[in-house]
Amino acid sequence: MSSMGILACVGLALTATALAQGPREIIAEAQRRGRSNSQHYEGMLEVTGAGGKVTTKSWQSFRLGSYGNSKAIIRFTAPAEVKGVALLVINHPDRSSDQWMWTPAIGRDRRIALQDRSTRFFGTDFSFEDLEERDVDQFDYRLTGEEPIDGAPCWRIETRPRQGKVSQYTLSRVWIRKDNYVPAQYDNYIKEQLVRRLHQTDIRNVQGIWTACVLEMTDLRRNSRTVLRTQKLEYNLPMKDDDFTVQALRREQ
Amino acid sequence: MILLRLITWPYVRKHLLRSVLTTAGIVLGVALLVGMHSANQSVLGGFNQTVDRIAGKTQLQVSAGDSGVAEEVLERVQSLSQVRAAAPDIEASVDTNLKDQGKLLILAVDMTGDRSLRDYDLDNGDNDDVIDDPLIFLAQPDSLIVTREFADRNGLRTGGKIAFSTMEGQRQFTIRGILKAGGMASAFGGNLAIMDIYAAQSVFGRGRHFDRIDIGLRDGVPLGEGTAAIQKALGPGFTVEPPSGRGRQFESLLAIYTLVTGVSSFFALFIGMFIIYNSFSIAVTQRRSEIGILRALGATRAQIRTLFLAESAVAGLIGSAVGAAAGLAFARSLTQVTSNLMDQLFGVPNNASEVLIDPQFLLMAIAVGVGMSMIAAFIPARNAARVEPIQALQKGRYQVLGAGENRVRRVAALAATIAALVCLPLGGNRTMFYLGCLLTLLAGLLLAPTLSLALARLLRHPLKWIRPIEGALAADSLIQAPRRTSATAAALMLSLALVVAQGGVARASIDSITQWMNAVMNPDLIITQSATLASRDFRFPPGVDEELRKVPGVDEVVPARTPRIQFRGQPVMLVGIDLLRDAGRVHHRVIAGDPVAMWRLAAEEKGLIVADNLANLQKISLGDLLEIPTPTGPLRLPVVGIIQDLSNQLGTIFIERKTYARYFQDDTIDVFRVYLKPGVSPEETRRLINTTLGDRRRMFIMLNHEVKDYVMKAVNAWLGMSYIQVIVAMFVALLGIVNTLTVSISDRRRELGVLRAVGGLRAQIRGTVWMEAVAIGIIGLVLGIVVGMIILYYEIQAIAHDFSGIPLAYQFPVGIVGILVPLILGAALVSAIWPAETAVRSSLVEALEYE
Repeated sequence: MSSMGILACVGLALTATALAQGPREIIAEAQRRGRSNSQHYEGMLEVTGAGGKVTTKSWQSFRLGSYGNSKAIIRFTAPAEVKGVALLVINHPDRSSDQWMWTPAIGRDRRIALQDRSTRFFGTDFSFEDLEERDVDQFDYRLTGEEPIDGAPCWRIETRPRQGKVSQYTLSRVWIRKDNYVPAQYDNYIKEQLVRRLHQTDIRNVQGIWTACVLEMTDLRRNSRTVLRTQKLEYNLPMKDDDFTVQALRREQ
Repeated sequence: MILLRLITWPYVRKHLLRSVLTTAGIVLGVALLVGMHSANQSVLGGFNQTVDRIAGKTQLQVSAGDSGVAEEVLERVQSLSQVRAAAPDIEASVDTNLKDQGKLLILAVDMTGDRSLRDYDLDNGDNDDVIDDPLIFLAQPDSLIVTREFADRNGLRTGGKIAFSTMEGQRQFTIRGILKAGGMASAFGGNLAIMDIYAAQSVFGRGRHFDRIDIGLRDGVPLGEGTAAIQKALGPGFTVEPPSGRGRQFESLLAIYTLVTGVSSFFALFIGMFIIYNSFSIAVTQRRSEIGILRALGATRAQIRTLFLAESAVAGLIGSAVGAAAGLAFARSLTQVTSNLMDQLFGVPNNASEVLIDPQFLLMAIAVGVGMSMIAAFIPARNAARVEPIQALQKGRYQVLGAGENRVRRVAALAATIAALVCLPLGGNRTMFYLGCLLTLLAGLLLAPTLSLALARLLRHPLKWIRPIEGALAADSLIQAPRRTSATAAALMLSLALVVAQGGVARASIDSITQWMNAVMNPDLIITQSATLASRDFRFPPGVDEELRKVPGVDEVVPARTPRIQFRGQPVMLVGIDLLRDAGRVHHRVIAGDPVAMWRLAAEEKGLIVADNLANLQKISLGDLLEIPTPTGPLRLPVVGIIQDLSNQLGTIFIERKTYARYFQDDTIDVFRVYLKPGVSPEETRRLINTTLGDRRRMFIMLNHEVKDYVMKAVNAWLGMSYIQVIVAMFVALLGIVNTLTVSISDRRRELGVLRAVGGLRAQIRGTVWMEAVAIGIIGLVLGIVVGMIILYYEIQAIAHDFSGIPLAYQFPVGIVGILVPLILGAALVSAIWPAETAVRSSLVEALEYE
């Protein structure tokens, strides 16, 4: 068989594979490709209010484990008034995550109650729920077509939380890039209203993992926008499980 | 209506002043009733309004009295399937020292989740949301959100500063957001600020406790089901109730005060009834010929009766309407007084900025005024209806109390007295007790005419001795017009009896409190966390007592925690104190139990000690097993001692401090009792403590005499409210004297004219009027003091068994009576000035022509 013939067969096989993927499989593949043992980055957060006022903060993010079974700490590093404030998120595959916040100036941690997850995360357009990682088995999926985002062809998939999954969103639409399986955009709905849009850009290959380095969350009800830029992104750094506990939050003071 | 216009109106116009004086009694009584009720309801309403506005969408609240709710309870509540949202809060008031602003109510919440229960409608000129930066608000413990109203009043903006005292000393707080006007922002008169709850725990010394947990139930869960589920999960040591339950608790604190003011108000109205009875009796007498003519022309008895009742109804309506308006007018200042009293006595701050007008109550008060007026006029109206036309045209006989009438009264009085005496030994049954009290009053009222006449006869000789002619004329005027005299004397008797009884209670209360304070309030210094001794907004953390012990000159420090808890449905004070240390310093008066063993047993957690007033109120005896609901389960201990204690009106329970800390998971402290070494100056030690600890600790240090002065000031404020009503009641009675004298002058116009015609001097005419007034005053005083002494007994018994449980000694209020005698006689003389002038200035010719 000629080389052209071989390439044609491979292409056909890939196409066949893609055509054979259901929406759940696409999501699962996207998560598999983003899987790592750990992750670290420095984040720069820019919040633009409805009146155009801009506030910036920066944080360090540490994550151990991946998708639905991970632990993460976000620790603010600037401005001075918020330095040291930290959030611990422990994700579970079978239930909603546990979240705690540490405030060094008061010397207290507080648990973020489940019913409070829909509130905004410290004045940003992300809610506490948006910081959770979604396990593929917590949702039902439906492939509704294909649509390009930023010029890249994407699958468009509808996701609805399953019975038992507590979520503020009744429906989400996600666009998964066909080339690298990176989610390019999320549209989140409460009942029939589009409330938040997460747009992911500046996609780079870091240590073999395609990652969006700019995340822009827009709150369409309030007409405000939050941009998170990740810098110094690294994967698979050695991290200890003990560093992701409430006691560890307090120790870092 | 025609009769009112043709018959009544001309009479009223002719005797306008008397008519005004007749209604004045109803005016004052209704004014007092409306004013007191409106003030009380305004204070209660202000409290409920604040609770309601702060509660937002909260359906249920979990609390554990003043001891607070431990943090771990929050997760237990949040995990229940019936609960949609559960958020903790702390509520406390602070003095900001901003000019004329009063207190600022701080509501501390967890802003990460509180928005599911409360709407934070935040203000920003650019229509942006929120607090300047929510993360900074949470990250910085000095963050506050204030209301637009408070900010505007004080010229504050976002970024501005407010200072107030915290448990860690004076601190500045930064405004990081402003709440729009309306809704929650209008609670506490707009003096509301929001703080982060974990910052507030430190500011107010709450340790790891919240004041309450506010709960929203899942859709479809009925309130009853939610309440039952939460109560079952937490146990009886917690109270689970809608936010309105807090209003009911406040109402129970206010209950005794409301009762006292209500009873006194009705008393004033009752006295006003006598004035109406007197006036209408006199009117019936004076209008006998008019009635006779009407009857001769065909008017029926029913029509005559209806005419007089209608007159009384109109008088009552006018008096009640004017009284209601007057009551609302002075309700505003009364509201402020009541509000301050609640803060001083119970540590419950209030910002009742409006007088709440209850239209239903106003209508009821007017109806009561009209009703009482008609009841008072019923007997005169009935007598008017019985007048025969022929008899009506005869003179002279009508003023004498009919022998038959007198006999009936005396028999009724005797029967009432015997019945009252029968009820006396049965006083253990509360119904019989109060029945006995009413029968005693009834007997007094029934005997008043007979006794007034007897006293008037007795006074004739001394009056004649003082001034032969004037005195004899004055006494004869009283003797010859017994009906007129007895009604006024009865009114004066009732009001003075009230003064004597209240005076006796006040004297006994002050003596009891002074005695108790001398025995118990013996520390050299008392250190609290608030200028108001009763406040529980701030608490000392554990360990401060150790800091105090290191201060030179300090011999002993006894810390105590004194929260109010619900015990058998009543707010009772629980004192957690080192019992052996306290017993070693304080000589409590022991009512029951071994004076030595009981402290040891209680310190070993084998028993508890209760105050005598609690034992009286709740029928608790030595050895009884008490069960106190606590957050960690019921605390069951036997009563090993009963002591005299006046710390709390509704009772106190004493337990070992470590027992309290363990069961209530609360090791904070409200008060330190500091004892100094011999020879050490308390003032100097206070200065030293302030210097070493004052900067980093919120502390209010009072010397021994300052604490006693504070307590006496609070007691006098409490008693002061009842004194006001007493003064009003006296004023009402004095109106009766003016009314009586006015009628007397009118009736004796011819007599006085003859006197002047034969050479009587104006001074002599005045003299006879004044002496008549003084004689009525003396009769009222004698009857009032005697009846007052009897009422005092009943009042002391009622207080001991049904109200505060405090046993008071029976003490005749010599001081009060000593002031009352010259006061009443002087007032009687003043009341006589105008009638006396009328008597001397009237036309002699007209007087001689008068029939």
